[in-house]
Amino acid sequence: MSPEHSRREVLGHAARGAALAGLGGLTGLLWLKANATYAWSIDATRCIDSKLGAVGVSVCERCSTECVLGLSAVRAVNQFTKCGRCYVCPAYFKITSAVGPDGLPSEKVCPRDAIKREPIGWIDRDDPANNFYEYTIDEKLCNGCGRCVLECKEPAGLGSIVLEVRHNACLDCNRCAIAQACPEDAFERLPPANP
Amino acid sequence: MSGARAVEYRLARRIGGRGFSPHQFHEALRGVALGGDHVFAVGDSALKVFDTEGNLRGKWATAFPGECVAVDGESRLWVGERQQVEIFHPTNGLVDTWRDPERLGRVTAIGFGKGDLFLADATARCIRRYDAQRRFLNDIGDRHRKGGFDIPNGVVDFAVDGEGFVHVANPGMHRVERYSAEGALLGHFGRFDGRDPSGFGGCCNPTNLTVDSRGRVIVSEKAAPRVKVYDPAGELLTVVADAAFDAGARNMDLAVDSMGRIYVVDTATLQICVFSPAAPEVTA
Repeated sequence: MSPEHSRREVLGHAARGAALAGLGGLTGLLWLKANATYAWSIDATRCIDSKLGAVGVSVCERCSTECVLGLSAVRAVNQFTKCGRCYVCPAYFKITSAVGPDGLPSEKVCPRDAIKREPIGWIDRDDPANNFYEYTIDEKLCNGCGRCVLECKEPAGLGSIVLEVRHNACLDCNRCAIAQACPEDAFERLPPANP
Repeated sequence: MSGARAVEYRLARRIGGRGFSPHQFHEALRGVALGGDHVFAVGDSALKVFDTEGNLRGKWATAFPGECVAVDGESRLWVGERQQVEIFHPTNGLVDTWRDPERLGRVTAIGFGKGDLFLADATARCIRRYDAQRRFLNDIGDRHRKGGFDIPNGVVDFAVDGEGFVHVANPGMHRVERYSAEGALLGHFGRFDGRDPSGFGGCCNPTNLTVDSRGRVIVSEKAAPRVKVYDPAGELLTVVADAAFDAGARNMDLAVDSMGRIYVVDTATLQICVFSPAAPEVTA
């Protein structure tokens, strides 16, 4: 130890260092808390468009009409592990519309034509019913209206399409307009581990 | 509809229902079969026996929730389950449990014809054919380009007619297919149509079927649930019912007796709905 520094001075420096470190940590914690990423999320078991047992209800659409963004932060998402890849998908086709010359419904469900339908695997051109089809949703077009979600719901479909909040688009408003309007309280704010 | 005489049906009776009474089902009702003067139903983890008036006459526990039930020529009751079949004597209860671990997944329909035994395997999406000694003979439907029957509903249902032909619901392709016992596709009828009742609507219909003694094919559909009768050539004869069922019902199993009465499982209300022809039609 240098003779210029007494024991008292060394201890004082150490105490000040510890206090600074503690202050830094506290500041960091406060910053994290202030920027806590509690996120808005949709409970599919409560959303009227996807809730099982709610058969014959009308589409809600509030996720698309209430969001403060021009294009809502809510999107329809097809969970491929549950999708049946049907030849006639009730979420893609308006299944009660007139049958066209190709034997398929002539109208589609999505008003923005955001769902794409493609045969997958080795394709049978002669008998289109002999193929499986993949239905993908173009997130640039989807506005989260929920019509496809409602039509995909069991028992008509397999319930593979649900509404989800896209957190890269969501402004994370404290008083989310969709949550205020949701008739089923399905729009909820959850800690980051849960959305 | 075809020029054949259309038969009108009326809802005559409801059997069972949701609840905890002995004659009710509290969780699931999946299969119905007829034998003698009895109605056999599998649901929850039980096989229940009703008389035609709907009174409970017997009940046995099954090892697993029953997926289907069928009555063989010796009046024994075959209950399809996950990876096994339980066989019950109508008065003595369980007499045998049969497993074929290499082949049997979820058994959702059972049929008999020309001495053979047919089991629908929803896991492999095909029908397994065995001889009377339970030796495997061949599969039916496994040569489909889709790898089997297209069953988004998760159930393979079929019926064997009096000539030994196997009629199968292939809902993803909106048609009923007819096979020889050896697995050769002999023909099919049906097409998608969400408006015309002669077609099959929705993503995947019909879900279930049975064949009566005249070779008429009786089918059930989901979303919206209804029951229809087709002649052997595939012409629609009549829509039996489209308002009698809960809107959430699907995979509604069917049975038909010699009087032409149709028994339909409403999987939502857990009832067996019995429809009688307005004019009785007794067949041999």
